[in-house]
Amino acid sequence: MRRAARVKWIFILPASLWVLAFTVFPFFYGLYLSLFNVQFGVEDQFIGLGNYTRAFEDSRAHNSVIITLIFVFAGVSIQLVLGMLVALLVNRPMPFRSVLRALITLPLFATPIAVGFLFFTIFYEEGGLINGLLGVKIPWLSTPHFALLSVIIVDTWQWTPFCFLLFLAALQGIPEEYYEAAALETTNNWKIFWHVTLPFLQPTVILVILLRVTESVKVFDIPYTLTTGGPGVATQVLSMFAYRAGMRFFDFGYASAISFMVFIIVMIMIFSLFGRIRQSFAGSEREQR
Amino acid sequence: MKMLKTLGLLLGFSLVSSLAQAGEGLKWYSDGSVDLITYQDREVIHLSKDQLGTMFGKGKQPFKGKKIAITVNNSGPKGGISGPLYRLRPAWEELTGAKLEIVEMPLAEQLSKTMFDLRMGSNQYDGFIEGAWYMGEYVTPGYIIPIDDYIADPGFPQWDPDWFPPSLREIHQWDGKYYAVLNDSDGQVLYWRQDILGSKEWQTRYKRDTGKDMPHPPQTWQDVIDIAKYFDGKNWDDNDPDPDDGIVMHFRVNEQGMFHFMSLSASFVVMGGDTVDRGTNNYWFDPDTMEPLINQPGHVRALETLYELSQSGPAAQAAWDLGTAWDWFLRGKSIFVFSWGDVGSLVQDESRSKIKGKLGASVLPGSYEVYDMNKNRWVRMDKPNIAGNTTGGSWQGVISAKSKNPEVVYSLYALMATEPVSMWNVNRGWTGVDPGVQIHFLPPVGTASVMGYLKEDFHERDLFYYLDAYHKNFFADTMLPYLRINGTEEYWRALDQNLSETMIGRMTPQEALDSTYKEWQSITNRRGKARQLKQYQQSIGYRH
Repeated sequence: MRRAARVKWIFILPASLWVLAFTVFPFFYGLYLSLFNVQFGVEDQFIGLGNYTRAFEDSRAHNSVIITLIFVFAGVSIQLVLGMLVALLVNRPMPFRSVLRALITLPLFATPIAVGFLFFTIFYEEGGLINGLLGVKIPWLSTPHFALLSVIIVDTWQWTPFCFLLFLAALQGIPEEYYEAAALETTNNWKIFWHVTLPFLQPTVILVILLRVTESVKVFDIPYTLTTGGPGVATQVLSMFAYRAGMRFFDFGYASAISFMVFIIVMIMIFSLFGRIRQSFAGSEREQR
Repeated sequence: MKMLKTLGLLLGFSLVSSLAQAGEGLKWYSDGSVDLITYQDREVIHLSKDQLGTMFGKGKQPFKGKKIAITVNNSGPKGGISGPLYRLRPAWEELTGAKLEIVEMPLAEQLSKTMFDLRMGSNQYDGFIEGAWYMGEYVTPGYIIPIDDYIADPGFPQWDPDWFPPSLREIHQWDGKYYAVLNDSDGQVLYWRQDILGSKEWQTRYKRDTGKDMPHPPQTWQDVIDIAKYFDGKNWDDNDPDPDDGIVMHFRVNEQGMFHFMSLSASFVVMGGDTVDRGTNNYWFDPDTMEPLINQPGHVRALETLYELSQSGPAAQAAWDLGTAWDWFLRGKSIFVFSWGDVGSLVQDESRSKIKGKLGASVLPGSYEVYDMNKNRWVRMDKPNIAGNTTGGSWQGVISAKSKNPEVVYSLYALMATEPVSMWNVNRGWTGVDPGVQIHFLPPVGTASVMGYLKEDFHERDLFYYLDAYHKNFFADTMLPYLRINGTEEYWRALDQNLSETMIGRMTPQEALDSTYKEWQSITNRRGKARQLKQYQQSIGYRH
């Protein structure tokens, strides 16, 4: 028995070391750094919560928070709706359905950095693909609103397939009997969707929101390659702001503080959404009983 | 049996290839001189025995078995600044017996990656081909070493710091000591379409339409604005049926847009003289208090001028990077561009340029009015105040203090700085190495041969404009001081973001520079005012 217990610890050890080294240590080291003014060539100076109060007073940080929230809200909403719509469309008999499904998921496998550069040429204002085809000069990257819209479009192009996959899986899990029963009551498809499909999709909707929000808050690669945060600071999201503070200006304390603030925001979202998921699963279990 | 034969063939092939590779970088002569043979192109660069240095000779290989790693911008084997390293690597390795690892890094990451390496003590790199504005970051914590002793050593390949004009010498030194070896010379000059501005027909039309003579070549920024406005929106050439622009610039944020402002604003701000003080030969900070000067009236007027000028360019330039703006000019879409030496040589490349033989160039125009920051008033000059600049990276080799083989690193940099190699680079536009020192200019001001340039397909008239513009720029009496203290990157990025906000109309020039002022004060205070002030004074040669 004692030997079995020892073996158990040996199996756990590598994973524990990995988590300690690459998750727990960086977490606490980051927290420690956020309490200091850290610069190359100068001794670190303890400033308590100075970096956090600085973030509250920094108009550039405020701008990044607003940009990030707009990006997350707009991007996730569009992806959620589009992903669900496409899943509903594809979740019915049609020719080449499996090929179509595979094609729809392709953007998921592209590297975000490459996607950013690809769309940089597509949005090019002087004869780029979109303006060339439309025969107009839409200032995709050189005006603040269009630049943010461009970033949202690219993110949507890449991540809608992810939402689509989850919704498709959920749709295929809805028992056919519910639709047969509903068909006896009404022929209105909208009513069937609203009263049958959507309640079954609710846990998936929350899951998609949870996963996409946590990812979107951390978005970096697409705005970094597509707009470099501009024009001006129109697309400078929080991750980019923290990256620039840490990696370009070596202001590690401030960068850590910003990162922790992002972390806290994400954690609040996760916990509230997990609460909703639990309620929603409890509700569907009750219904099934 | 068949497998054995195949293996034998493969072994034989690799043996022959390795034999062919051995010795392919050099060809020795009986007088001790040598031909360096470039990689792939197999071009020949001849060095005399004296130029080579006493340490090197046939079969000597003084650094045999050693290995160095050098960081450089990621432009690849045929790209700017990194390309020459690849071309010369086999020759240098054969000459020294050492091995060279070229570590390419994106421009935006080079400083952070090398600083992390130095700070964390991993010491993977022996040297860096750095932008001149990194120097304060490297020198002040003692991360790079002075090289005066190496320069004086006849054993190494020979180059002469006296070739530098004072403006470029300054950015290779720190507090009177050399830290960087000659490689590239960056500065911005004004380029224009000489075939259009020099044409009698267009000059007549200009006078008819505006009632004034065309101010060509432009002497002031107002002249540039007037000409750019006139030509903007007209289809003044036959490259395509679309309207063309007056000027093109690059304002993609977090890249190199702020350099446009620095170069243009110098003539509104910098007053020449024999001293250095708040209002003389100064631009960035008050050298007594470290108060930012960026929102002084001279700077503000300069930004107003830049904004007005930008209105004669394509609207999309607010999101354009350097290469895109260059291409616009090379495709014949704009009358003016003010930029680095690369443009002059890229114009000669007909695979990319439609304007070979149509180029004009001069030192950047000036301003009749300069703001005197000592007396806080505008001063009217008799002739335009022309201020040269060393704006840009002047990508230069420095040696890590942690390197175990600093002499090996220096031998590489010194070889690249010898007259034949430096000329080979400057004659070829793709190398990204721009002219700036005495050996690059034509007689009577320099020692270069016009044939060297013409052999590389330079158009003769373009060449004369180009070299004259650069000579006048680097040897100007008044120069824009270079900022290279700790945190330069952060100061410049704050300025760049506010400039970008101006270019998209979200801030007025005054608001943008007031905002920059506040951010700079905050950066200075956080980094330590006394420390920053000391560095600033050192970097501009200020003495109480």
